[in-house]
Amino acid sequence: MAVEESEPVIPELEREENLIAAARHIVKALGSNKNLTTDAKKILADLGSKLSSMSIPSEMEEGKEGEEDEEEEEEEEEGGVNATEDRINVIQEKIMRWEEDQSMIWDLGPEEASEYLNAANEARRLIEKLESFNLSKDDQEYKLLQRAYSVLQTAMARLEEEFRNLLIQNRQPFEPEYVSFRSSEEDPVDENSIVSLGDESVEESLQRDSVSRAAEEHIIDLVHPGVIPDLRCIANLLFASNYVQECSHAYTIVRRDALDECLFILEMERLSIEDVLKMEWGTLNSKIKRWIWALKIFVRVYLASERWLSDQIFGEGEPVSIACFVDASKASILQLLNFGEAMSIGPHKPEKLFRILDMYEVLADLMPDLDSLYLDDVGSSVRIECHEVLKRLGDCVRVTFIEFENAIAANASTNPFIGGGIHPLTRYVMNYLRTLTDYSESLNLLLKDRDEEDAISLSPDMSPGTEEDSKSPGSPSGVSSMTLHFRSVASVLESNLEEKSLLYKEVPLQHLFLMNNLHYMAEKVKGSELRLIYGDEWIRKRNWKFQQHAMKYERASWSSILNLLKDEGIHVPGTTSISKTLLRERLRSFYLGFEDVYRIQTAWLIPDVQLREDLRISISLKVIQAYRTFFGRHNCHLNDKYIKYNADDLENYLLDFFEGSQKCLQNPHRR
Amino acid sequence: MPATTENNHNQGSFLGRISIRRNQVISMSMDGTHDMECEEMELFQRQVAERFAELLSCRDEPEAFMSIGWLRKLLDEFLCCEAEFKAVLLMGRDPFQIAKPPLDKLLPELLDRIIKSLDVCNAVSLGIDSLRNIQRLAEIVLSALDQTLIGDGQVRRAKKALSALLSAMLHEDKDGGITKGTERSRSFGRRGNKDKDRSAAAPFRSLSWTMPKNWSAVKQIHAMSSNLAAPRGNESSGLALPVFIMNTALVFVLWTLVAALPCQERNGLGTHFQMPRNLSWAQPITALQERISEEWKKKEKKGTVGLLEEMQKMEKIAQWLLDFADSFQFPAEADKLEEVKAQVEELADICRKMEEGLEPLQLQIREVFHRVVRTRTEFLHVLDQAAKLNIPTS
Repeated sequence: MAVEESEPVIPELEREENLIAAARHIVKALGSNKNLTTDAKKILADLGSKLSSMSIPSEMEEGKEGEEDEEEEEEEEEGGVNATEDRINVIQEKIMRWEEDQSMIWDLGPEEASEYLNAANEARRLIEKLESFNLSKDDQEYKLLQRAYSVLQTAMARLEEEFRNLLIQNRQPFEPEYVSFRSSEEDPVDENSIVSLGDESVEESLQRDSVSRAAEEHIIDLVHPGVIPDLRCIANLLFASNYVQECSHAYTIVRRDALDECLFILEMERLSIEDVLKMEWGTLNSKIKRWIWALKIFVRVYLASERWLSDQIFGEGEPVSIACFVDASKASILQLLNFGEAMSIGPHKPEKLFRILDMYEVLADLMPDLDSLYLDDVGSSVRIECHEVLKRLGDCVRVTFIEFENAIAANASTNPFIGGGIHPLTRYVMNYLRTLTDYSESLNLLLKDRDEEDAISLSPDMSPGTEEDSKSPGSPSGVSSMTLHFRSVASVLESNLEEKSLLYKEVPLQHLFLMNNLHYMAEKVKGSELRLIYGDEWIRKRNWKFQQHAMKYERASWSSILNLLKDEGIHVPGTTSISKTLLRERLRSFYLGFEDVYRIQTAWLIPDVQLREDLRISISLKVIQAYRTFFGRHNCHLNDKYIKYNADDLENYLLDFFEGSQKCLQNPHRR
Repeated sequence: MPATTENNHNQGSFLGRISIRRNQVISMSMDGTHDMECEEMELFQRQVAERFAELLSCRDEPEAFMSIGWLRKLLDEFLCCEAEFKAVLLMGRDPFQIAKPPLDKLLPELLDRIIKSLDVCNAVSLGIDSLRNIQRLAEIVLSALDQTLIGDGQVRRAKKALSALLSAMLHEDKDGGITKGTERSRSFGRRGNKDKDRSAAAPFRSLSWTMPKNWSAVKQIHAMSSNLAAPRGNESSGLALPVFIMNTALVFVLWTLVAALPCQERNGLGTHFQMPRNLSWAQPITALQERISEEWKKKEKKGTVGLLEEMQKMEKIAQWLLDFADSFQFPAEADKLEEVKAQVEELADICRKMEEGLEPLQLQIREVFHRVVRTRTEFLHVLDQAAKLNIPTS
């Protein structure tokens, strides 16, 4: 009954909806039907002429409605004040009826909702019309306008509450296991089933949706898709009635809560910078891992979905949509960024470098997403903050790398490393460098920045001599920053090792130690990504160097013993005949020397099997061979009782060398 | 942006000072280092005093005491002091001088205060976000009342926003903006509240909640100021003095920000920070501090959103308008409407100032944050160098 009375103002939004549906139907029917009856043709022609005589509605809803209203207004003019008053009475009754009701309108069903929405829209349009009369206070309609505003306010307050309630009640659970990834084809919105304010064509909105959804695979429904059209309708009406602020405010607060909860679910607790700086590394380490995981999900899934939600409700790319999104998400994203900021401030311990690089890389990786989420002026503060934190993490990586270099230089020992094997520092540095190759791209970029800017004046006091590497005639421009820095680290390590080698009293052990460590460095580089960074030339030089040390070891260790096996000085003075006494003496000294070396060098260590083998062979070639020759030559002069070991015995004894466990030969001689 | 140009300007004066310093360094070898240093210290003290004295004399718009404009000026002056402090302490100085007593103890304390100040910066920056929330509510009031026709509808709309606004102001202050778990469910509330226009206050509650729950601005300020003691005897003329001045300025500026802007947990702020007396450079700061303390004591009991001048004004207007709304009957008398119009205009003026000033203020707070972080890094580096140089000698 009420509907009939308000005939002239039946919402054209609903009519238009039906009209479009009907028109679609006709188009479809025409497409499949080639032959039309004359009746049909006549009706269609009538329709055509009627359409052409109608004024074309402008894009703006206001304009469209205004013009269409004119017709109605003319009809209504006759009714005048009374008719307007009747209209208000009807609207008011519809609106006020709900004021006594405890239930939410949208809970009761689409009919109730659409009726309420239409009534509210009528109030809005009535106001618009009355406003256009430029009423003065004395006009009769002035009081009506006042009443209409009052009704509108009641309706708007109600709609705001319904809007908020819909948003809250239809929030989708956040738990990662519920996260259903939306496929690009899915279309959950049944556009035709709902009331829509006539300010945007249904077709247009459908198109937009499909475009945006195809692009974003990780988008989830933060709010049940079934209520999105309702939310959009309410928002549209609130906007059309100049209640933009109330609507966006209500939206922002609900969504901000939701995102806050999301951080809670991702277990991102709030930490002050002071807390972070005080935290133990173990705890911090796991917090960082969690942060990296959470940031990715938060930006790629939640923020992207959040942005999509506000686009769906307020219109894609609309300033209000972006503003609401930024307001709703700012606190959460800044909370996450604050952790990154705190990390970048903290002490630059070398062991943190990998985690900080992880943080840097995840943020750098998300930067394009963040840039497109926080567009324009509205998002600029968040966008700038993201870039700032990224920059700070990058600075932190650089400084920490320098600290690493300094730490190597500063690593001092007071006692020699037992056995002359691979020093823990060498292992640490080489493994550290090898792990860093996983971050080559970022590291190259960040170290380059430093070289160019020379921003932070944290120059190490001891500038690491890069030796032949940097002085080599090869063009420095062809060498990456990472290469330069890595070579420099290796040089620092080498000079540190040289210093450490001096702690050994035995010269041969000094060389053995350097041989071991240089060999280890070269092998480590050869067998990993480091090869690409250091280059073959560098490896060749290390190989040459450790071989030099091997030679020097042999010389220092064996040359005096080998001298005993030479023929000089074993003759009876003044003759060419061999002195048996001298020969016996020589042999005894040789055995003593060998036993001595055996006792000492079995305790030494060459961890690399191949290197150990090679060195034994090399010793065998020199020493055992010399012994064989000596023995063969002077066999005839020697009584068996003076021969303690034959060549094969010695060969076998050599196998005990460099195993790191000290041994003695049986029946040790005097002393 | 005004903030940037001002900063550039500061940078200029800072660089100017550096060059002076360089000349002095060169001449130091010839004349007495000590005289130079004394002169320099005095210059620094005088400058600090002048800077804060200027803040004391600000009375008129747009830099009325504790207004957004005034706070921005305060931060500018602070940034200048900070640059001058570094010039005095670091430029051309041997790391050894900085690492020896009493600085070996004073500097780490300063660095610790800097860390504490970072969280305060973050907290007040969040406070600015919640001021924006209040600003938006005020803008709803403007939309409702900035009309030719003021009837029941407009008044009810305004009333709803005003109640939310006043309750947000109260809320910001009481809880410092923390959302407690239980509050979340409040927004689910069913209808049924009789006075609906006023019931909307809950959803309009605070929007700043990114500080950890147990974090307290007052505790933080207290921790920064409790072990702050003026240098005595010999130390009072040496390098300990600029460090103390810097500490004092840092604590004072943050304390002022906490007093002015919404911030988590600040009950008893007025009593927690005592300024040194009888020091010539400190007089303007002391005067400012006393003035703010008094204001704070007056307002603390009433529960306001902070001492920010714009907020004080807005609260009064909002209260007035709410009273008007409560007793409103259509049609209102003409002279009453005139009064409303005047109040609305003033409210619009405040909103404009907030719109123009809050963002630059927030940026400046970020600038302070980053500047003190950088200073901290520089000092750490110097101390580190000194420690390394120390090893061979000891």
